[in-house]
Amino acid sequence: MSRRASILALMTAMALTIAACAGDTGTTTTAGAEGTTTAAPGTTASPDTTAAPSTTAEGSGDPIVVGGTLSLTGAFAATGAIHKLAGDMFVERLNAAGGLLGREVEWNLLDDESDTANIAPLYEQLISQDQVDLIMGPYATPNILAAMPVAERYGYTLPQHTAVLAPLMTYACQFPGWSIGPEPNSFIPNQIADALDSLDGAVSTVALLTNESGSTAFISYGIADDPEDPSTLNILPERGYEIVADIPYPPGYEDWGSTAAQVRDANADLVLINGLGVEANSLIEAMQQLDYRPPLMFALFPAPGPLLGLGDAAQGTLSVSIFEPNEPILEQMDPEVREIVEEFAERAAAEEIPYTVFETQAAASWNAWEILAQGVEGAGSTDGQGICDSLHSTGAELTFSGAVTFDPAVNNFWDTTEGLKQIQGTEWVMVWPEDIAAGTLAGPTG
Amino acid sequence: MIELQAAVSGALNGSLFALMALGLSLAWGFLKVINLAHFAMILTAGYLTFELATSTGLSPIATIVATVPLMFVVGALIQLGYERFGVSELNSLLISYGLLIITVQVVTNIWTADFQRLPTEINPYASESVAVGSLRFPMPTLLAAGFAVILVVTSALVLERTYAGRALQAFGQDREIASAFGIDHRLLGVLLAGAAGASAAIAGMLFPIGGTLTPDLPFEWIGQVFAIVILGGIGNVTGTLYAGLLVGAISGLVAVIWTPSTSPFVVFSLVVLALVFRPKGLFPQKGG
Repeated sequence: MSRRASILALMTAMALTIAACAGDTGTTTTAGAEGTTTAAPGTTASPDTTAAPSTTAEGSGDPIVVGGTLSLTGAFAATGAIHKLAGDMFVERLNAAGGLLGREVEWNLLDDESDTANIAPLYEQLISQDQVDLIMGPYATPNILAAMPVAERYGYTLPQHTAVLAPLMTYACQFPGWSIGPEPNSFIPNQIADALDSLDGAVSTVALLTNESGSTAFISYGIADDPEDPSTLNILPERGYEIVADIPYPPGYEDWGSTAAQVRDANADLVLINGLGVEANSLIEAMQQLDYRPPLMFALFPAPGPLLGLGDAAQGTLSVSIFEPNEPILEQMDPEVREIVEEFAERAAAEEIPYTVFETQAAASWNAWEILAQGVEGAGSTDGQGICDSLHSTGAELTFSGAVTFDPAVNNFWDTTEGLKQIQGTEWVMVWPEDIAAGTLAGPTG
Repeated sequence: MIELQAAVSGALNGSLFALMALGLSLAWGFLKVINLAHFAMILTAGYLTFELATSTGLSPIATIVATVPLMFVVGALIQLGYERFGVSELNSLLISYGLLIITVQVVTNIWTADFQRLPTEINPYASESVAVGSLRFPMPTLLAAGFAVILVVTSALVLERTYAGRALQAFGQDREIASAFGIDHRLLGVLLAGAAGASAAIAGMLFPIGGTLTPDLPFEWIGQVFAIVILGGIGNVTGTLYAGLLVGAISGLVAVIWTPSTSPFVVFSLVVLALVFRPKGLFPQKGG
């Protein structure tokens, strides 16, 4: 083989590998970690959304160190920054209220650089070398899945913010801060159908688009190789909604023009994109270029800020949420919630976090920290099994999600409080179910 | 009709990738440099376009007044570095991959890893299109096609009709012989690398007009861009454009006839077949 041919072959292999890797993980960065420690300055008042501090036999005066990683750089960094700020605020408030077991809490936070390959070694390091007392999960489902076996091996309880793929989270001592129940692949399509039912027949056809990565494909198609598993594809037709287009697309997909043509051709009442990040933005803009606007849109896990940035084009778009700081909701909650929301917005702006609203991501983070704190207080120690047992027996009282219980039979995924939010004006407004709604669900346009 | 619209949208999208591939193909074909830093320049130009447009309110297209000269200099400096250290073809691949990784990290540190989009008020093109009958030509990719045609035609004319172009072709075929005939390959190489950098600036300007910026974009581009370079023929500028349009149209058609997920399978199967049966590309040059 000539030298040129060898290089061509090498390049092709590299291109294929890089394309595959980019598609599969959406991550880009290299290995390594930079540690930061968030000490607890105890600056704010207002104790008490969390477990009440107490003094116990373990009250040695040494700080309790919570180890964990977040994606402070790399592809997930924007959301990682939200979780870091929420965690910082929680630890500060916790320490202001006396810490845990009468001891100050420190957060030994490492940067996993959005690289799943870094997760297991970093958690190994935190547990076996740094000998942290407790751990907090990383952000993003693949990373949480990577941390889970390490936690299990060392018997640490693992609170985690955002992994909602309940069937995969099999470690009995992992506790989700965000739950869509034990069957999100059933809950989400049913909740959408419930909301559509309330629109008195305004919606009857649906175009379904699906990012083929784990969580979104799970909601659209259920567990792979099991066509009977609950899924959007099964449930919506059972509920009387005809799926007129089913368009799976790969992660990192760029050619939205062709897909928009397909969606326009399907002419559905609802375009339901089970996608991630800014994929819904790309689809909306591609449809605009074809001079087409669907009557109603739903986007599963979008980046919330960019969709708002589309202005009129995204008006009425629906998505899922466990918390939105809408005024009617804040009025019904503990005054401290407003304080948290406002402090978060102020600090997020100061830290130049692009989307400064304390919503689902930050609430899930807060939930995870509360679960950890209440587990420790319930156990009266930092023993992993003790914390786990305590949480299983008493559950947790979460500021943003209320009282929850943990059943290992369903991988600790608690009864969800998730609802639907909708872009109305310049903000996301909780619109479903009606008992937690801050606004009225707007139906299809045009 | 939907197939025609998908093919048109796909082909126009492919022209943007052809534009990205142009500088890479030229550098590889004539300078024997596989410059992955080309993607770093496209990425940087994209973010500079975003920054300049959002901070000044300028049209994103107008930002090329600043980014084209800047990327020309960057491209030329990188080539000077390759020349200075006598970097081989294979080593250029490894070194420029390092440069790309460094750039991605720097961009992340400056602009964060969050999605960045040009606001509608300074980027009206994002939602515009040109209608011909029932066909729609999306404005962002129509602009890309326009710039791609201009650059490809200009490049082809320069290569075929100017002394510098013919000298570059001679240099690309045999360095020693070309040097023996007095061709200043260093100067020509630097100028060509600068021109490739300038084309990266234009591609970088066009991407945020139609898409969303994130620092890891180059890793999504690389596969398709190399497919276009290989199918078009390395160093074949018109072939690059044809390959871009072809790959885009095929991707669009496959997406609507089967699924979008099938497109990479079809495109890379084509690349493998081309490497086996047409290693000089699908569009051979005269005398090539």
